[in-house]
Amino acid sequence: MTQAIGEFKHSAPLTLGVELELQLVSRRDFNLVRGATDLIGSLDYDGRYGEIKLEITESMIEVSTQPQATVDGIAADLAGLRDTLRLHADRNNIAICGGGTHPFHHWPERRICPGDRFEALYQRYGYLAKQFTVFGQHIHVGVTSADDAIWLTQALGVYVPAFIALSAASPYVDGVDSFFQSARLNAVSAFPLSGQCPPLADWAAFIEHFSFLQACGIASSIKDLYWDVRPKPEFGTVEIRVCDTPLAIEQAASLAALAQSLSCWLLRTRPELQAAKQVYVARANKFQACRYGMDAVLADPAGPSQVPLRQSLLDLLDTLSDDARQLGCEHWLNALRPIVSDEAGDAAWLRRRHAQHNNLNDVVRDACERLMPRSSDKSWENIR
Amino acid sequence: MLETLRTAWEALLERLLFLPPFPEQLDSLALFSLLLVVGLLLGEWLHARAGWPKVVGYVLAGTLFGPTLLGWISFEALAQARPLADAALGLLMMEVGRRLDLGWLFRNPELLRATLSDITLSFALIFAFAFWLIGMSPGWAAATAAVTMASAPSVVLLAIEDGKAQGLVSDRIMLHTALSSAASFVAFTLVLGIIHAEHSTDWLNAATHPLWVAGGGLLIGWLGARTAIVIARRLPKGSLAQVFVLVASALLAVGLARMLAVPVFLSLFLMGILLAAGDRQQVLRYTSLPEGHWLLAIILFVIVGASLPWQEFTWLTGLQALGLLVVRAAAKSAALAWSGGSLPLPKRLLVGLGIQPLSATAVFMAYEIAALYPEIGRSALALPLFAAAIMELAGPALCQMALRRSGECETTTTQAGGIA
Repeated sequence: MTQAIGEFKHSAPLTLGVELELQLVSRRDFNLVRGATDLIGSLDYDGRYGEIKLEITESMIEVSTQPQATVDGIAADLAGLRDTLRLHADRNNIAICGGGTHPFHHWPERRICPGDRFEALYQRYGYLAKQFTVFGQHIHVGVTSADDAIWLTQALGVYVPAFIALSAASPYVDGVDSFFQSARLNAVSAFPLSGQCPPLADWAAFIEHFSFLQACGIASSIKDLYWDVRPKPEFGTVEIRVCDTPLAIEQAASLAALAQSLSCWLLRTRPELQAAKQVYVARANKFQACRYGMDAVLADPAGPSQVPLRQSLLDLLDTLSDDARQLGCEHWLNALRPIVSDEAGDAAWLRRRHAQHNNLNDVVRDACERLMPRSSDKSWENIR
Repeated sequence: MLETLRTAWEALLERLLFLPPFPEQLDSLALFSLLLVVGLLLGEWLHARAGWPKVVGYVLAGTLFGPTLLGWISFEALAQARPLADAALGLLMMEVGRRLDLGWLFRNPELLRATLSDITLSFALIFAFAFWLIGMSPGWAAATAAVTMASAPSVVLLAIEDGKAQGLVSDRIMLHTALSSAASFVAFTLVLGIIHAEHSTDWLNAATHPLWVAGGGLLIGWLGARTAIVIARRLPKGSLAQVFVLVASALLAVGLARMLAVPVFLSLFLMGILLAAGDRQQVLRYTSLPEGHWLLAIILFVIVGASLPWQEFTWLTGLQALGLLVVRAAAKSAALAWSGGSLPLPKRLLVGLGIQPLSATAVFMAYEIAALYPEIGRSALALPLFAAAIMELAGPALCQMALRRSGECETTTTQAGGIA
């Protein structure tokens, strides 16, 4: 059934919302468990920090913050959601962790969550729906107009490799090291409407493009667009969808700080976009970031030339510092610098834990501790 | 045909010095292995055709070919196979012990309340039934309650693995089963002393037998767990070598328990608990029993089926056993319904249904107690043995029904629309 795109709801500029898809794992062997419906069913929670809801399979759960003006607000909501989940997961004997993939789960064991939408996705995509048991962070940035949303969607597309490399937390798939920093996006790439937003001039062009997709029977609602960055008219936001769920909520807040300050800078300076040329390099750049992380070498279509991602990211963080200071999120943004310069990213952390334990069960156990440190036990801080 | 073969054999025997005398009957090991195959096929057939739990097929095969009916498994063959049954039960009990997550009770105290309700209500009502309605002596009524109060860990474990069940109902069925088993083992140990006190003037046995069983079980369990952890620490986690060490340590504990006349199920259950609790560096935490442990289940349940005393069946005892099972079912369902905590009532009732099985541990416990004073014990414990015999067939089906109704079993290929 096709669904028309409604009016673009205008938001306060640069407001934020964060969604995290989290892994539900067994406390016995730290493999994924089917427990989402039971966990949601047993929740005694008034929604003060945002929503906790089902995702496509029973081994996933999604938390989403309330809309917030500041990154501090996002961090507070994420902490509240984490503590709420911890309380209820403990009662149900389930552990929860971050990361973009579960390192060793067997996808045929996954079960689709009850619900018409999930069942429709399963019927439509078959086994891809179960293989979609991967875990991402989505960041919403509020914009004041529909045209700005389309412009920002195009502008942020250039920085997709930066978000991928900074959040990369999925080096292991099916029990083996994939050699990727973020293997999660390979599962997303299988979907026919994944990838980047095509070059579009404004909201009217977007509506025309989407109507074309609907007429061709390719998409029925905007939820079918699995773009890396997409407009979200019902929220009045632009949604960045390429990040792996980080191992700690502090990292999720830092990525939100990058999204906010980068959007602020882009909307303020309005750099000239190379949207048409960007289409030709976007997939290659995304692969570079997924495969090599900070060591990626990106294609710059404006040059044309090659640019090392690490150096360009350090330059970008310097560029954004004034905007971040004005937005009150500089400390969150600066927390990203060690990832760029010191190999302190989550993928490297997971590989170090694997080298130490020589098994992936203990890696997931440590990852659970990292996401949900006991309030009286700050030893997770030393794990890094 | 057989005569021709015998004549030919005997003719050869005069010239071939190495030939043994003509084998008059099939070697018990060969016969037993054939029965295992029959048990396996029967289990698979019932499962595929009627959706019955495979365990029921194994028990039926044992009952059919056991001493009571066809007699293909003689009492001697049954006695010879006992070490195999002990090894099978021991390994399964160790696995149940390893899965007992005591930390969950601290994280969710409602579970402790539910399990205490199940234990006390089950013991009290079964004791009252046996003492007042059946007219047993206090000692044998307590023995009956100790033997039948708990669920069947091996049946529950296999039902959960067979259905690949995961979720709150499955987890709670496993937890309550393990905890009620622990409680029944404590009751069993105490009952040993009571039975001695009732039937012997020598107080020494009454005082020391429970201590021997409890202390011996703990010591053997500790020794098995330490041996496994100390050796496995030097091996890669989850490796085949670790699986071997785990199985070998368990078999060592089984052997020691048999040598010292300490119940195997108790020693290995304690070994499993100590393995889980004492493994602070997760040395063996992720090491599972090999896939072939289904073979153990077949061995165990064929032997249990053959051991059931159907030849002593009377309609009166059968009715009494049914009465006991009704009382027991009411106790377990009421306990879970009343104190199951945050779980919705329908799911609490499913947990109550899932913990109904009564099987190998009950049969073995009954025989252990009956062996103390065989002249009275065997008839005195006919009631729990018949209750166990009935539940050998009904219990797996009830547990499977609870798991399926809860929606926690893995869906099959056909149900899932072509995707496994």
